[in-house]
Amino acid sequence: MKPVLYLGLAVGLIPVQTTVLEHLSLAGVRPDLCLIAASLIGFFGGPTDGVLMGALLGFEQDLFSAGDAWVNAVTKALFGLSGGLVGRYVARVTPATVAPLLVGLSACSGLAFLLAGAGGQDTLTAVRSVLLPQALLDGLIGVVAYSLLAERFKRDDSLV
Amino acid sequence: MFRSTSGTRRVVLVLCALLLSLVFVLPKQSRTLLQTIGKPLADIVALPLELLSATDRRFEAVWARYVALRKVQEENEQLRREIEFLRGQAADLREMAAANQRLGELLKFQGKTPSQTVAARVIGRDATNWYQGVVLDKGEQDGIRAEMGVLTLSGAVGRVVKTRASTSVVLLITDPNNAVTSLIQRTRDEGIIEGTFDGKARMKYIPVLSTVRVGDPVVTSGLTGGFPRGVPVGTITSIQKDEGGLFQTAEVQPEVDFTKLEEVLVVTVPRGTEEPQAASPGEKKKP
Repeated sequence: MKPVLYLGLAVGLIPVQTTVLEHLSLAGVRPDLCLIAASLIGFFGGPTDGVLMGALLGFEQDLFSAGDAWVNAVTKALFGLSGGLVGRYVARVTPATVAPLLVGLSACSGLAFLLAGAGGQDTLTAVRSVLLPQALLDGLIGVVAYSLLAERFKRDDSLV
Repeated sequence: MFRSTSGTRRVVLVLCALLLSLVFVLPKQSRTLLQTIGKPLADIVALPLELLSATDRRFEAVWARYVALRKVQEENEQLRREIEFLRGQAADLREMAAANQRLGELLKFQGKTPSQTVAARVIGRDATNWYQGVVLDKGEQDGIRAEMGVLTLSGAVGRVVKTRASTSVVLLITDPNNAVTSLIQRTRDEGIIEGTFDGKARMKYIPVLSTVRVGDPVVTSGLTGGFPRGVPVGTITSIQKDEGGLFQTAEVQPEVDFTKLEEVLVVTVPRGTEEPQAASPGEKKKP
């Protein structure tokens, strides 16, 4: 189950992110599916899976983005690790704990991009028009995805 | 009902035999007699017969209507399926016709432009929200390299920033990290076009003495950015002049609608020279 799921995500997530999500954007802002996936893989699969899949998905994302070829790979690996640590050490994980975590991670991702120079000189506009809406959108979609996955994997207690 | 004795039976039999012999002996008279006797009986039998016949006719009519309706329904469903199929085909044909028209115009434009270009299709958007870019279906194996300019019939689109064997990533001119040297067509004043986060562009470093006006068209200067000279960039919509500043800044509405990009031309050799272009030193290297 796990290898198939990971393979599917590795192969299918970037095409979805670059094509289909264009039609589902809110005010021009799309959710970052790779960030959500890396965090949730860490959550359900553990820190190692989170780091490895986060790095892979982030690397793929860098290949199809105009930005520097490391920002996504590094940040997504770190977010996978964070998700893994929260999943391992937080006693009771609920959607209420997942939402702020994902919003926070997405905001950190945005800050990393701003530090890498993605916002140009207009940092405040970048924060207002990209960072904050994307963080909220990622949090919302992440919570929905977490709720669905938590139902599905409750019996297995893992992705195996 | 009737308890017939053997005597009565004999009487009836004799009467029948007489009647039968009468029919043969006196046919005309016997027919009149039979009609007279049979009339009331026929009237009696006619009543349920008509009733039954009417019921039968009604049933037949209902049945025929039901069968016909079923046939009509089947026909309807078939016709509906055919209409849907034809509608789909018509939509496909319209899409193909539109694509043909676009590609035809692109080919005409490609023939007219002195630069060497490669036509490519937009297959996706940038994988993050942080860069305004598109992914093309052509890459290094088609001669596309980083820093090459990308344009459409309407005007400048952006420049190639990443290439793989069969795909490449283009940073649009509306991205804040992009910078293309341009000039105001009327005044011939040069400046640098940069993107803004709201999907527009901004022309910076316009000389303070320039007589730039709202509505002036902006074109590429051809000096840097991988574009030939004179490719439309946009139209000036507003001008800001800082007190005591050395330059003016103008907001530019791009000519290209970046939400509807489908096919583009990548400028492989901007001025029709033999050597492919090198990376422009005056351009911003980021990202």
